[in-house]
Amino acid sequence: MLVDKLTAQGATGLSITSESDIVACRKVIRDLTTQLGFGMTDVTRIVTSVSELARNVYVHAKVGEMRWNSMRSPGKIGIEIIFEDKGPGIADINQALEPGFSTAKSMGMGLPGVKKLMDELEIVSVDGKGTLVKVKKWAKVK
Amino acid sequence: MFLKTLSVVKIKNVLLVTVPDDPSDKMVYELQEQVLRSLEKHRSTGVILDISLVNVMDSFFARTIAETTQMVSLMSGMTVVAGMQPNVAITATELGLTLGTAFSALDVDQAFEILNKALS
Ligand SMILES: Nc1ncnc2c1ncn2[C@@H]1O[C@H](COP(=O)(O)OP(=O)(O)O)[C@@H](O)[C@H]1O
Ligand SMILES: [Mg+2]
Repeated sequence: MLVDKLTAQGATGLSITSESDIVACRKVIRDLTTQLGFGMTDVTRIVTSVSELARNVYVHAKVGEMRWNSMRSPGKIGIEIIFEDKGPGIADINQALEPGFSTAKSMGMGLPGVKKLMDELEIVSVDGKGTLVKVKKWAKVK
Repeated sequence: MFLKTLSVVKIKNVLLVTVPDDPSDKMVYELQEQVLRSLEKHRSTGVILDISLVNVMDSFFARTIAETTQMVSLMSGMTVVAGMQPNVAITATELGLTLGTAFSALDVDQAFEILNKALS
């Protein structure tokens, strides 16, 4: 569900409350990054990261939201995407970033994968209070 | 091509499953269920998962395909994943994902060839 009213480029947030919101998050970011001018492989990397992070919100915290900002300067484009929830938080962030670590008996490839696919990954988490994950990707354009 | 739901078609002894471009988790679960049910019903020996429309594959999707392949193999069938888009393949590799023991083919035609050779 859109947090802000969806206008042509006006929307900047999407709440994540159900499984189908994972698809909605992917779609919004696919459209946005394609419009911004990212190449097909970067779009796929960004959308795959969104899929992992939106699912983490849904699976590990139940509800949360995704927000985004896009940047365009001469010769350069960028996107910043933020996932925030008030779920259980991550007790040990370094451990969560290890490939294969999962508290949900799933693959544990989400966070380490996103770290590889995106240019920047920042995780802020307060145990018991919630989690904020911020990712960024840049590209040169003509 | 506009495909919104899974398509499962039986062709001789093979099940051809076509996955839409952006499958929800629900649809990915359904894929597993439908493949196993149809396999039992039609006594098929081969499964082709045509993912040529799929434009995003994350760890959940990859794991479900790997698991499904394993289950199909327990039911003495063989699975070929066909048509993975280059961008999806690059991203999946960077993410560290594999499709388990599934065979892979460039397209559905090649998948049929692989199955025909293996099953004849
Ligand atoms: N939004 C979140 N809230 C709470 N815990 C999280 C969140 N995202 C990730 N985690 C923790 O980090 C672990 C690793 O995440 P990830 O690499 O995506 O693997 P997986 O989701 O398969 O468990 C999770 O098992 C969970 O313990
Ligand atoms: Mg995850």
